[in-house]
Amino acid sequence: MLRTIWGAMRARYPSRRQAIVMVSVLVLVLLMVGAGLVVAGAAGLAWTETLGFCTGCHEMRDNVYKEYKDTIHDKNRAGVRAICSDCHVPREPGPLILRKMQATFEVIGHLRGVINTREKFLAKREELAHHVWKRMKETDSLECRNCHDAQHMDPSLQSAGAQAKHKLMQTQGKTCIDCHYGIAHDEPKGPTPEELYPNIKVQRWKERPSDAPAT
Amino acid sequence: MRVNSTARFAPQTRDESNTNTHGVQMKTLIVSVSAVLLAGSAILVNAADDAAAESLMKKSGCFKCHSVDKKKDGPAYHEVATKHKGKPDAEQELYKHLTTQPMVKIEGKEEKHAKLKTDDDAQIKNVIQYILSR
Repeated sequence: MLRTIWGAMRARYPSRRQAIVMVSVLVLVLLMVGAGLVVAGAAGLAWTETLGFCTGCHEMRDNVYKEYKDTIHDKNRAGVRAICSDCHVPREPGPLILRKMQATFEVIGHLRGVINTREKFLAKREELAHHVWKRMKETDSLECRNCHDAQHMDPSLQSAGAQAKHKLMQTQGKTCIDCHYGIAHDEPKGPTPEELYPNIKVQRWKERPSDAPAT
Repeated sequence: MRVNSTARFAPQTRDESNTNTHGVQMKTLIVSVSAVLLAGSAILVNAADDAAAESLMKKSGCFKCHSVDKKKDGPAYHEVATKHKGKPDAEQELYKHLTTQPMVKIEGKEEKHAKLKTDDDAQIKNVIQYILSR
């Protein structure tokens, strides 16, 4: 089939100049279509990061969103929020795409109705929380540190007890989720993240070069 | 041996000993329905109190240091309830704890225990009941 098209093109545009013009037009069109696809893909990804997208499913809207409302990550003095994607979706491009691919299983779960009633959700709450805790332990609470930088916490604005507890990050190798669990959604019963995953080696996060000021 | 087992299922002859008048039937209906509603509302009221208590405690930041079943900076509420079980002055003790901001130790450092974010006594007492019933 390609041979007939090629033959037809050569017959229609015999001269070299015409051929060059046609090829450039074709390349331009392909580039524009490609660019359009990339922009559409990025826009689609951005749409999946919005609060409206996540709460489109009633499982989220009626359970975890209701619990998240009026917590400090939702409403506070300064109005600075952390929505679903800020805590549950990594920002780094590689892990981001991976997480989005994982999310197809959540669509399957929604279609199967795994937590489509309040009772089913309550029964599964522990398991769902453990998934998140495990990820946080493995990544040194990566999503927390998207906004909270331990190196730039002002000790003078923290209570003495809080300062002492935060020192445990260095002295005992603790990560955010070890103490700060159950803050956005209701805390599940059962063991703490530390007790659940005592053997996970926290990959100590190294300061990203882009976070340091240019000298 | 012929047992007249069908006698149990034969229609009874009705007389004064085994009939209720319409009035008596009505009364029993009213009493039983009210009993069910009362019991139901008692359960619902308890549920509402729990929800109200949890909402106030969430707002006041109690769950930053306390969990229902886990040890955090402060004792688990289950532990508090067990410790105070059967004590007559439990409510008073907890009321003092939640309103006078006693000093507590966190990681060796002393700081004031937080207050509930309300001035309403009834709400404070509701929270105390919530804690003591965990």
